[in-house]
Amino acid sequence: MTVAEQSRPGTSADAVDGVTPRFVAEPASGAACAAVLAAASATRQATVLRGGGTKIEWARPVDVIDLVVSTAGLSDLLVHRDGDLTATVGSGVPLSRLNTTLAARGQWLPVDSAFAATTVGGMLATNDSGPLRHRFGTPRDLLIGITLALADGRLVKAGGTVVKNVAGYDLGKLVTGSYGALAAIVDATFKLLPLPHASATLRAVYTDPSALAADARALASGQFEPLAFDVRAAAAPDGPRWTLFVRFASSPASVPAQLDAARTLLHGEITALREGIETRAWADQVALPWNGDGAVLRWSWLPARLPEVLAFVTALGDGCEAVFTGRVVTGAGLVRLTGPDAAVAAALARARVPASPVGHVVVLRASRALRAQVDVWGAAPSAPAIALKRALDPAGILNAGRGPI
Amino acid sequence: MDERVTGELRAICGASAVLDEPVQLLTYECDALPHLRQTPALVVLPASAEQMQEVVRVCAREGLPFVARGHGTGLSGGALPVPGGVVIGLARLNRVLDIDIPNRQVTVEPGVTNLEITRQVAPFGYYYAPDPSSQQVCSIGGNVAENSGGAHCLKYGFTVHHVLEVEAVLPDGSLTRIGSRLADEPGPDVLGLLVGSEGTLAVVTKVVVRILRRPETVQTLLAAYDSISAAGTAVSEIIAAGIIPAAVEMMDALAIKAAEAAVHPNFPPADTILIVELDGPAPEVRELFAMVETICRRTGATTVEVAADEGHRLRIWKGRKAAFAAMGRVSPNYYVQDGVVPRTKLPEVLGRIRALSERSGLGIGNVFHAGDGNLHPLICYDESVPGQAELAEHVAGEILTYCVEAGGSITGEHGVGADKKNYMPRMFNDDDLDAFQKVRDAFDPQRLCNPGKVLPTPRLCGEVPGPYREHPVERAGLAERF
Repeated sequence: MTVAEQSRPGTSADAVDGVTPRFVAEPASGAACAAVLAAASATRQATVLRGGGTKIEWARPVDVIDLVVSTAGLSDLLVHRDGDLTATVGSGVPLSRLNTTLAARGQWLPVDSAFAATTVGGMLATNDSGPLRHRFGTPRDLLIGITLALADGRLVKAGGTVVKNVAGYDLGKLVTGSYGALAAIVDATFKLLPLPHASATLRAVYTDPSALAADARALASGQFEPLAFDVRAAAAPDGPRWTLFVRFASSPASVPAQLDAARTLLHGEITALREGIETRAWADQVALPWNGDGAVLRWSWLPARLPEVLAFVTALGDGCEAVFTGRVVTGAGLVRLTGPDAAVAAALARARVPASPVGHVVVLRASRALRAQVDVWGAAPSAPAIALKRALDPAGILNAGRGPI
Repeated sequence: MDERVTGELRAICGASAVLDEPVQLLTYECDALPHLRQTPALVVLPASAEQMQEVVRVCAREGLPFVARGHGTGLSGGALPVPGGVVIGLARLNRVLDIDIPNRQVTVEPGVTNLEITRQVAPFGYYYAPDPSSQQVCSIGGNVAENSGGAHCLKYGFTVHHVLEVEAVLPDGSLTRIGSRLADEPGPDVLGLLVGSEGTLAVVTKVVVRILRRPETVQTLLAAYDSISAAGTAVSEIIAAGIIPAAVEMMDALAIKAAEAAVHPNFPPADTILIVELDGPAPEVRELFAMVETICRRTGATTVEVAADEGHRLRIWKGRKAAFAAMGRVSPNYYVQDGVVPRTKLPEVLGRIRALSERSGLGIGNVFHAGDGNLHPLICYDESVPGQAELAEHVAGEILTYCVEAGGSITGEHGVGADKKNYMPRMFNDDDLDAFQKVRDAFDPQRLCNPGKVLPTPRLCGEVPGPYREHPVERAGLAERF
């Protein structure tokens, strides 16, 4: 069957990054997904895979998209094996729906997303994460099995449904962070965690970033096991503010004990956050970089360079307003730059000079014009990544031209 | 081997680093799975990444198959030489290159042992989390190849969760960096693919691992039970209570008997022993440990022994970690299996294994990581009894079938290697295996890098499967297995 026979014509409502695709396929099964990819490969149709569409513009802009393959039809599967702490879920299932189901049995897939409509497939394809990665890692660390639709029309699996398994190549990890450029994710199996019995957060606000960095270092080298440990830099009406957030989630007696011990190490203006206020504070921290319409860059750093990173953020304010959120111990974060494209481009260039304290600087959100002008991904793919792309997508249709490979 | 090639390798690595005398090659005939043996044409021991690169380039140019070998502790024949091929030993790549405490990263060459990393960072209050039973002698390069776990991977994960970056020589001889010391490198997770690829995609020359703060408190208990199902219920209740222990281990009566005979851990008499360890901040461990103790008693533990001090804790672990080697005390030969089942299927599968033991007449001891459903059945047999070795192999294969039927895996941590490659079709169909082959060919189009491992090939006539036999080095009294 041709692509046209397996899809409908695209409309402006289907536009991806401002481009209306010629066709839109909404396969209802993994086999149908693989079949439409095979047809697209045969005729070299530039193809974009789409989950919730919340991160679909994290890409180089392109002028032509022939086919959008939506995973919306891959959203029926949701198997929760609570006794085994695992779940298998269709790639089109929203992360929020998955976690609502898991919570009924006291479990969760501990991954943050700033976007309500994020699907499991989109989460994996971008390997997007937030503050919870401090304890639990990124989606790749929780993934234990996967089913993929390959560009040659085959449906294949790797891994399985058990947490410990070294049989075969880990194709699941391979496709995390591939932005749909290697294969389509049909379903995924995750290891889960029990929801914590109790939780509380300390927020410490500083007017001096070096005071924050010193406290962060003291806390990081102490005997704590936080669930999340974050930093924020944002403007306040009376000047910039630096904030540290540390969340303890554990047994009921342990949370206050760790909170009290941590409090003695912090010198900022401290508030303890609990229950609804705590939940909202973390949701705000996750959402903050995406509020408004500024450009959003992702970057990372060696954790010991946090003081330099904070100083660098402060200096970025030249011509645009910077808001920064990040993970203290993993050294990963987002910065929102609000200002004219030229100022954002200048800030991006400064972040990418060799002496910069941050690395792997990627433009996630920016105007189409700006993304056309700068190097969105900031690095050429490695030789193995290119070889893998050629092996799995020989026609080069998947996410063609949009990157990262 | 062509003298021209041998000469060239000598020129690259030095004369003493190229071994081709039959007596020198003996050590390299097999890894810790000694029934699979093959004499390599020669062994090369490069001492730097540059030498490694040159060696691989020569192999690529000459079309010589090569097998990287760490310290030879693998249990799946992953380092089995290829006839006429080269073994590249990592033993001389054994330097610790950088200890970066502020960033919690350590950079080592692949021949450094797993435990050496912890030794290096222990004075600063840190440790390297993955702890395979062979950690005193196994190499980090081998750990990367096998994605090694250990008793504590329930809470801390596997090698893949602790390696940040590697430098590797690809099968064409190019030197490349894979992964990054910094988080969030854009692009597909090639490092996640490489770790656990069993030395079939590249040879690592440098590994950056992350280290963890040593937990404030560790508490361990040992509970004795009259039945495996009661112990299994205890594990289910611990998990259902929302507790993720650092380790949950079980041993059955035969394994207990063997451990007792070998290292005298002074285990109580029991049908099944459950070991539970919690670690973390003191207030948390105190509170959760009391819950675990209550659960153990409620589920019918006949005794609950709490490790009173570090010496007591180490004695419990010594008994557990010695269980494999200890089998030699109760059986002339044994075969270690490495299946995985979903944790809730443990009682069902263990029941099937017991029935199989009775039916076959072979004793089967069980030692397993109960928290993650990783079984290590130890199949006892006597190779001097005609037909028993073959029977043991058949029994081992049958157990893997039970694991796959229960939704599990043919290997949890030992790897597929040469040993279990022909079981791969029980888990994966032809399309899955073709996809694996495509991925492999993307790295190694000439198919020279550790060929004959992981993916199934038609079984050769005369290839003897299965059981444990003494390694030639063991037979010579030069080493002991643990």
